[in-house]
Amino acid sequence: MSDVERRPPVTVKDLSREAEPLSPLDLDRLLPLPPPYDKVPPESLWKEMSDERKAQVDASLDGISALNLKRPADPAEEERLVEALKAGLGKLLSADDNWGFLQPLALTLDHCTHCQTCADACPIFEASGRAEIYRPTYRADVLRRLVARYGPGANLLKRALAGSLELNFTTLARLAELAHRCTLCRRCTQACPIGVDNGLITHELRKLFSQELGISAQEAHGSGSVLQLSVGSSTGMTPAILKDNVEFIDDEMSEKVGYAVKTPWDVEGADVLLMHNAGEILAWPENPGAFAVIMQAAGISWTLSSELLAYDAINYGLWYDDVQFSRVALKHAEVARKLKVKKIVIGECGHAHKALTVVADRLLGGDLAVPRESFAPFLASIVESGALKLDPSRNDFPVTLHDPCNLARALGIVEPPRRILRKIAPRFREMTPHGVENFCCGGGSGFAIMSGNNFESFRNLVSGRAKLKQVLDAFAGELGPEVPKYVCTPCSNCKGQFRDLFRAYGVWDTSRILYGGLVELIVNAMADVKPGFIEWEFH
Amino acid sequence: MGVVEVVTVLLLLGFVLGCLRKAVRYATMPMHLRWELYPVAHEKERAAYGGSYFEEVDWWTKPRQVSRLGEVETIAREVLTLEQVRTHNRPLWLPSLAFHYGLYLLFALGAALLAGAVPGVRSLPLLGRLGGGRALAAWAGAGLALATVGCLALLARRTLNAELRRASTPADFFHLGLLLVVFAASWASLLGADPRLQLAAAYVKGMVTFQPVERPPGALAAAVLLVGLFLAYLPFSHMTHFFGKYFTWHSVRWDDVPNLSGRFDARVGKLLARPVSWSAPHIGGDGKKTWAQVATEPVPKKRAS
Repeated sequence: MSDVERRPPVTVKDLSREAEPLSPLDLDRLLPLPPPYDKVPPESLWKEMSDERKAQVDASLDGISALNLKRPADPAEEERLVEALKAGLGKLLSADDNWGFLQPLALTLDHCTHCQTCADACPIFEASGRAEIYRPTYRADVLRRLVARYGPGANLLKRALAGSLELNFTTLARLAELAHRCTLCRRCTQACPIGVDNGLITHELRKLFSQELGISAQEAHGSGSVLQLSVGSSTGMTPAILKDNVEFIDDEMSEKVGYAVKTPWDVEGADVLLMHNAGEILAWPENPGAFAVIMQAAGISWTLSSELLAYDAINYGLWYDDVQFSRVALKHAEVARKLKVKKIVIGECGHAHKALTVVADRLLGGDLAVPRESFAPFLASIVESGALKLDPSRNDFPVTLHDPCNLARALGIVEPPRRILRKIAPRFREMTPHGVENFCCGGGSGFAIMSGNNFESFRNLVSGRAKLKQVLDAFAGELGPEVPKYVCTPCSNCKGQFRDLFRAYGVWDTSRILYGGLVELIVNAMADVKPGFIEWEFH
Repeated sequence: MGVVEVVTVLLLLGFVLGCLRKAVRYATMPMHLRWELYPVAHEKERAAYGGSYFEEVDWWTKPRQVSRLGEVETIAREVLTLEQVRTHNRPLWLPSLAFHYGLYLLFALGAALLAGAVPGVRSLPLLGRLGGGRALAAWAGAGLALATVGCLALLARRTLNAELRRASTPADFFHLGLLLVVFAASWASLLGADPRLQLAAAYVKGMVTFQPVERPPGALAAAVLLVGLFLAYLPFSHMTHFFGKYFTWHSVRWDDVPNLSGRFDARVGKLLARPVSWSAPHIGGDGKKTWAQVATEPVPKKRAS
């Protein structure tokens, strides 16, 4: 694709135009990376879909398929899909079907002046070399045009003023894919002088496709929320397997720290119900292990739950489906209520924070209103209480902090992780920008778990590129392999994205940059555990 | 009253009622789920870096520190300096600033003319000038000049900058074009028929007191009608952001009120009783089942894709 033919820039109207693909990634225009990563040829990270696969699924937007969307078998099926989309437009704007987001959505649809103040704030648009289809207002304007044409109160004047757009299967398929080229980081919303929320448009489009047409990313739905609701976790872990795994982690931790570590289960009336993203248990067991070490050392009354769903804090519905979201959130709260815990502390999982603490807040009334708290202030209070003996010299290596969007921008949790890092990481430095202005890791809104077809190419080349540059810039002057460095990444999905990103660009081999959680850094600095908790091995 | 006056009054009524209708529509929409975005301006000292009450351990046991002044300051800064545009879209900032300041002056002028039309007001100290004169003319000239220059610059940038042109809709050009026509008519009236705004002030007074001037000059009548037409159209456009912004910022971005002590339970209970018609197989909404039912009943097994 580096020799992609220069084509006229795409407009909204073009979305329905036959072209295969409409706007391929232009690998020559991607955001430049600092040396030596400027030598990594983007072509080496681009995976072209085979012709056979392209014949099976639609990749007509940009040569990428996140959704495995099959083309309709006949005109009747196309008609059915198009009619379903039209019906969904009405439901999005209905006070019955979308009461939870109607007001923000209506305000956003009604007020964009297309000033493009949001455009430069979008790391995807910038990293792509300003490809029009990734412009924050592009997908929003597609929706506006469809609403003006087919939505409630559609009329000729609205159509004329909004601009034209034909609705066919091509439009539908590309729009569904477009809703999966935004990580919902909402930097664009922060920048908007009017308060228009293009991130919300992505959210609402995904809902329309999932809730009306049954179209969503398999990783988020079938092997995500559906699996979680049926088995208990999107990892597929049943309670028995979970307990086995955590027992193994306890043994491993005991060996690493030099004394017995034991995770308590299902303790009724505990002060804290700790809820992890269950993916940590399988992919980064040192994270829940480090939590157990800290809780035990600080003398906290805490427990994990082996009840279905409560051992997996994830709620993928947050990204694409209000119904799935509500189902999972209610189950989470129900378990906390039954256990009679004083509060839920959410582990290092950004979207679980936003789901259970913010978006579900008003749904969780009565005795389901068990208080929810982030790990960050909770740990900061432990660290600042002096309950842990800390030796910051054990963390004498460069550290930077990645602010997960769902912690910083969605919850306003900025200072607590920094208060901890200032106490335990003498060589801590900030990225630019950081805090609520951070860049998304590129794996937000489910991207980190999505790798089907060639979607990982998009993550590595485009959605994660600005973040990679930020990390490299934070360690400028020390990018060689001789100095080990640590990106503190207190979010499971962000870690998954960093893992893939670093692997793709050879960051570990070239620069010895490791990613990991905040709790691992804390335990690594604990004076009364065996030194070397953090193992400098890439995984 | 003459036809022109009647039409003007109707157009102004359309503007007021249209704006009211739209604002009431937003205000009466169902309570939404929380979707705040930091920084939240009322977070007192935390607002400076985007922090929130979630930064405190056991936050629900502590009084919330809310600063309405912080909200007012943020909005005032945004309205007066167009801070977001200045920070994120510098090439558009000066044109936009000139345009908005021009409109602020012109709206204020309209309000002043209306106020001056109230019987007795012009006899108060200094307010006699509201009947027309150099000061009023300078005010109008300054407003029109800023608005016209800003509007032309915005139109030029929207037309000449390829990225902005591609991202624009027909409405964006139509609005700027319509405003330019309104400004042109206003200039014609100010520079030709009514250089001191005495006729405009008399016209407004005539409408307010139902004692219209005999026959306004054509240029003034055209300007007044075009202003009225623009205002009557405004509620149907995205230009209602001058009040829409209250909702987008205050009611969405900054709505961080937690559901403590069952504060929202009754309202949410009613919302959960609303019917669901989303028809994907994993929902099976039939327009009868409620949100409470689909969220708590066993999940239908089938899925389309």
